[in-house]
Amino acid sequence: MTREEFLLSIDELLELESGTLKGSEKLADLENWDSLSIVSFMGLAKERLNITLPAKGIAACQSVDDLFALIRSQAAS
Amino acid sequence: MSINPMDLTGRLILVTGASSGIGRATALLLSQLNARLILVARNRDRLEQTHSALEGTNHQVEPFDLTNLDAIPGWIKDLASRSGPLHGVVHGAGVYGVIPLRILTAPKLEEILRVNLSAAMLLAKGFRQKGCHADGGSLVLLSSVAGLRGHAGISAYTASKAALLGLARSLAMELAREGIRVNCVAPGLVATEMSAQVEEQTPGEIAGVENAHPLGAGRPRDVANGIAFLLSDAARWITGTTLTIDGGYTAH
Repeated sequence: MTREEFLLSIDELLELESGTLKGSEKLADLENWDSLSIVSFMGLAKERLNITLPAKGIAACQSVDDLFALIRSQAAS
Repeated sequence: MSINPMDLTGRLILVTGASSGIGRATALLLSQLNARLILVARNRDRLEQTHSALEGTNHQVEPFDLTNLDAIPGWIKDLASRSGPLHGVVHGAGVYGVIPLRILTAPKLEEILRVNLSAAMLLAKGFRQKGCHADGGSLVLLSSVAGLRGHAGISAYTASKAALLGLARSLAMELAREGIRVNCVAPGLVATEMSAQVEEQTPGEIAGVENAHPLGAGRPRDVANGIAFLLSDAARWITGTTLTIDGGYTAH
């Protein structure tokens, strides 16, 4: 998954217009980023990439880019 | 003279989901009550692990994929022709998933309903066939308190578990004439691999749920005891009901 594809999938998950997120956004500032988004994000990673993301790892993410880095690191491991 | 009202000597009981969690604990307890078991799950190696922990001999390991719904009645017929009629069936196999609506897809919903609900119905269909059930047959379905209380993000799972409660009532009516009793158990939070999965997916959730259980989290054995009771002659006048085993969770 490229960074661009990732950003589009997060747009979709948070019901934002396609192309809204650039990556540098702080998760705390995103209105729709809540506990259900977190489990949805984990579900998408499992479904589309067959990656099991540790919830603690997600909790440590500050920005959208951090989420992408987490996916990258899990895919590599 | 001592008696054991839950004695299952001479009974042949099929347990699905016997490779882990409540299914495995149930198989172990039933073997200690002298039942003969048919252990069912997809994975043979994990079933063999359960098998090696059982008391007694003459138990069978039967790997089978319950998503193959159409094959279930014929498969039970075959089991009964090889091993004799079944006295009991426990449907302990289940699929859990945290799937908020925003990522729910029809195939995912179908997968959960297929194993948790549809397989239960086809097991009942197989069990009631002539020659497949002994006198005083008992079917026990593993529901959940998730079928009794709302929980965000797991609506597919809760729908499947709530459906089992209704299924048990109607099957109890339909199968009484065949001498088969049908009941559910509805466990609260029990420490199993599935609950570890919940903790992995939603950390902190378990602690919150555990606090909502006045007696704390349960053990697989606590649920197995209820299942064994419903299978035994001690429950011969109980059908169409749900035994809640939840440390007080639903008493709120």
